[in-house]
Amino acid sequence: MGLTEDRERFREAGETRREDLAEFISRGDLGGSGADRIRIPVKIVDLPAFEYDQRSAGGVGQGGDGQPQPGQPVEPEPGDGDEDGEPGEEGGDHEYYEMDPEEFARELDEALGLDLEPKGKQVVEEVEGDFTDTARAGPRGTLDVDEFFKRGLKRHLATDFDDAYVREGLFVAGADVDDVFAWARGEGIPVSRAWVADAAATLADERGEPVAALDRWESFEALDDGVDREPVTQRIRREGLDSVPFRREDERFRHPEVIEERERNVVVVNVRDASGSMRETKRELVERVFTPMDWYLTGKYDAAEFRYVVHDAEAWEVDREEFFGIQSGGGTRISSAYELVEELLEEYPYSEWNRYVFAAGDSENAGSDTRDNVIPTMESIDANLQAYVETQPGDGAANARHADEVESAFGDADDVAVARVSEPDDVTDAIYEILSTESSGGGSAPDGATVARRTDGGEHR
Amino acid sequence: MRDDRIEAKREADALDESAREARELAERLGLEPYPVRYWVVDHDQMNELIAYGGFQRRYPHWRWGMNYERQRKKDRHGLGKAFEIVNNDDPAHAFLQESNSAADQKAVITHVEAHADFFANNDWFGLYADRGEDGPNAAARLERNADRIAAIAKRADVDRDEVERLIDAVSALEDTIDQHSPVDAARSVEEPGVAADVSDDADDSLAAIEDRIDDLDLSEEVRRDVFDDEWLEARGEGVEPEEPRPDVLAFLRDHGKRYDPESGKAIDREPWETTVIDAIREEAYYFAGQKQTKVMNEGWATYWESVMMGGEGFAGPDEFLTYADHMSRVLGSPGLNPYKLGFELWTHVELRAARREVVDKLLRVEGVTPENFHSRIDLDEVADLLEPHPAIAGAGPATLDELADLAAAGDPRVDAEAVDLALSARDDAGTDPGETGGDRRGDIDVERYPWKLLTREGLAERHFVLSRPDHRGALRNVSREALEEQARYLFDVDRYETAAEAIEDVDRAAGWERMFEVRESHNDVTFIDAFLTDEFVREGNYFTYEYSRAAEEHRVASVDADDVRKKLLLRFTNFGKPTVVVLDGNFRNRGELLLGHRYNGVALDEERAKETLKRVFELWGRPVNLATVRVEYDEGAARRAKRRGEEPAGTEVGVRFQYDGGEVTEHDLDGAIEERIVADEVDYDTKPDDWLA
Repeated sequence: MGLTEDRERFREAGETRREDLAEFISRGDLGGSGADRIRIPVKIVDLPAFEYDQRSAGGVGQGGDGQPQPGQPVEPEPGDGDEDGEPGEEGGDHEYYEMDPEEFARELDEALGLDLEPKGKQVVEEVEGDFTDTARAGPRGTLDVDEFFKRGLKRHLATDFDDAYVREGLFVAGADVDDVFAWARGEGIPVSRAWVADAAATLADERGEPVAALDRWESFEALDDGVDREPVTQRIRREGLDSVPFRREDERFRHPEVIEERERNVVVVNVRDASGSMRETKRELVERVFTPMDWYLTGKYDAAEFRYVVHDAEAWEVDREEFFGIQSGGGTRISSAYELVEELLEEYPYSEWNRYVFAAGDSENAGSDTRDNVIPTMESIDANLQAYVETQPGDGAANARHADEVESAFGDADDVAVARVSEPDDVTDAIYEILSTESSGGGSAPDGATVARRTDGGEHR
Repeated sequence: MRDDRIEAKREADALDESAREARELAERLGLEPYPVRYWVVDHDQMNELIAYGGFQRRYPHWRWGMNYERQRKKDRHGLGKAFEIVNNDDPAHAFLQESNSAADQKAVITHVEAHADFFANNDWFGLYADRGEDGPNAAARLERNADRIAAIAKRADVDRDEVERLIDAVSALEDTIDQHSPVDAARSVEEPGVAADVSDDADDSLAAIEDRIDDLDLSEEVRRDVFDDEWLEARGEGVEPEEPRPDVLAFLRDHGKRYDPESGKAIDREPWETTVIDAIREEAYYFAGQKQTKVMNEGWATYWESVMMGGEGFAGPDEFLTYADHMSRVLGSPGLNPYKLGFELWTHVELRAARREVVDKLLRVEGVTPENFHSRIDLDEVADLLEPHPAIAGAGPATLDELADLAAAGDPRVDAEAVDLALSARDDAGTDPGETGGDRRGDIDVERYPWKLLTREGLAERHFVLSRPDHRGALRNVSREALEEQARYLFDVDRYETAAEAIEDVDRAAGWERMFEVRESHNDVTFIDAFLTDEFVREGNYFTYEYSRAAEEHRVASVDADDVRKKLLLRFTNFGKPTVVVLDGNFRNRGELLLGHRYNGVALDEERAKETLKRVFELWGRPVNLATVRVEYDEGAARRAKRRGEEPAGTEVGVRFQYDGGEVTEHDLDGAIEERIVADEVDYDTKPDDWLA
């Protein structure tokens, strides 16, 4: 019982009620998501109740200044500005399950049974990793204080000794400085002869007679039996540590480990037919196929760039915001788009970039443009994958043969895919068709670990 | 509980004085709150308390987890930081957020005191929560339910998921209770197991027969063959309520069964199931009071908070800005804000009562009639006359002598004893400056708490609504019709020679008196119905909006006060939920349940209704039906209307949803049933005819 358990139960409830991913792609509201944040509506987890239809119910609002005129558009009001939580009064607000593109890609792999393994391309940069390497010189700010202190302390421990104990040696009958020094070193005490001589001189001064004459102890053996030596660590614990001898040579400066990253980067060119025959439903189908693929590739690769090309008889580049909405009036010449694609891709050498070219349209094309121009261009473009998505071919028009022609030209090639979508239910199949084309092809041996470490003059211990 | 936290304790100590003084001020103003225990909690504990509806222990259920996650998200994004949460109990427990500034804490305390007064004195709260001798006893009741349900969930012979499913089902129906007769909501929670039978309703002969069959100890097969449902239903009176029953939950509790997937039949509930149903139902009633008085209660608390904090300077001068900011945030939050609406309505109640009192007196001035009121009465002069006595208005150290004079003359506005004490403290301080006066018993700090010098009457004059700057014009707005109406029942006119004499007699507490009456007997529905006047709607720029199918967006529909009132009432009547009643417990003679949505021009959210119907099935055990009306639009007609810039006219069509454990199916609705669910008089649609023109 308690909050932990209730939260756990809620999490379980939430997960089972999240909109099915395939359902979301085919029919859900894609608009709520951004490029790096995918928001999947969660079926209302809240308990249902008999409630009014929001639209049918209308509502009451309050004008800021002046009474508004009937007929004036208003925003329906967004639920109470509740301050205290009131049980059972949660409004019908939407809940979202948010995932990043990585999770989306994983989930889509799982949902569709994909296993695209992105390839690492050229080394793009050396980045600074964690500050885990050390060197003997460096900026003051990077001084590894812990290490510095540890080394100092070690030295301190190595040179410190129980001086009272050594001094006691001088009281052994007949022992002179050399005897005491030899005894002490024999005991493993890190004392110098000079120190013993010093101590002897002081003692002789105090007592007025040479140390050899002092005879508190019969012999060193008797001393050992009579006096307990206090280990250094114990003494430090008792007396505390007044100073640790810090030396230059103990200084260690930390510096970042240098990591060479072989970035798995991708450029995706989305191409869409914007000619008059591409009506709203067709455009929406294109969006439903392209958007999840964009998310998927963003999630799969370290860095993803997207370019958007629309065309009628001419081709031009647009921003993502415009891409799915544009409708122009002109005819159709698909090769115009591929010419532009080829040009754009020059910025992304194939040796350094994974390249994807996704085109969509209703298969209408001018004359023999597909055979004469498009197919040769497609052949000349180096890319991991090129795909054509055919949406609702124009009412059996004779010239709607682009998809068929591409398909027959490339056959079973593992870098060209053709998919057909005529209603939302086909969307996930199309995505599978396209994305599985590359992953099923043997050409893309996974390039596994792409992070190489290189140490840079640092000292490893 | 939570007082083991040192930080919290320190905070709480610091608040002791504020709490004590706020209580004294509240009582001086006439409030009679339950005792309040204050706790200071950090934001995480606050989120948790909010999630659990203001109590520390509730039955185990995922929705508390959900509430917590939502609240935490809101909290993190700075939306709806909760300053406090207070629960309706005697004593009430108020939890204050640790991070509140000193000014916030004071404001919150005054707010809480007013809530506690509302809990203690509103009849609707009494009806729902305050059962029996020992008051609401809410924390204990909820805790007991928590223990019981947790114990059930732990039992070896009970599947925990089943318990949660049952709670889900009952909770989905927690608003389909009979708001007007919460009697015996908890009748069998006290002795779980007593109500093991389907019903403890003595005249339910069907249940009695079933009992007897149970006694025969027959095998399930024989029982099914010989005494099938049809036979049973033929014997018993069945469960066909004569009148539609609004308390759906009670009906299901009494006559419901549970569907057994193995036998495919409805079987009797286990005793623990009835215990769970009763517990959740009891809690639904407990919280009903809160849900039903949200606008009033929040408005009430906000009103007195503003009197105490702003009017009485309960916030020190240095804290006032923080407080003002706090208040503007509370009142300024977007949408239809219960704090704001409530606050404005209460002020409106006060204003009208006060104005009525003043007008009543002025109409008794010689020669003043409704017709010549505005010309004979110099309203500027009246406004001056209504200004509080300077010593009352400026009560404090500077006016002590003046107040003492008034006290000596027996002025009822002055607390003579307090003035005495303050005077002697001042004189002591004069002779012995080293001593700090405030520490001694009986002394009062008139610098910080000047209101201690005044009685309720004095405070009423100090805060008289018609002398507040925003409302000085209110007398000017009174219409001739209103004056005539009031004059009609007036006798003993020509009592005063001058306006000054008349104003002298004005009871400045009239506004507050009216407010206290209203706070006792009203709930949100009656409150809005009675006090949302034309004037209120006009001054507040309120309007209704509707969804336009032609324009595909919401449009302002009406600024008419009746429409605004109607729309608001829709939102508050029956907790803002559609009314659903039991029409038949033996529908089609097959033991099916038929629920009817009382259609009032606003359609159901069908998706949610279908989901809810599935929960009803869990509690009925046999097929369930819901009759409702939807508006259908002919596509061609809609297009034509759109082209003409008109709103398409829909057709109301009756429909019946049925659920038997598989899929929700849709059927035509029998005309006779449709007639039973459609209300003739009410229609909450406020769309004008020539709306889009």
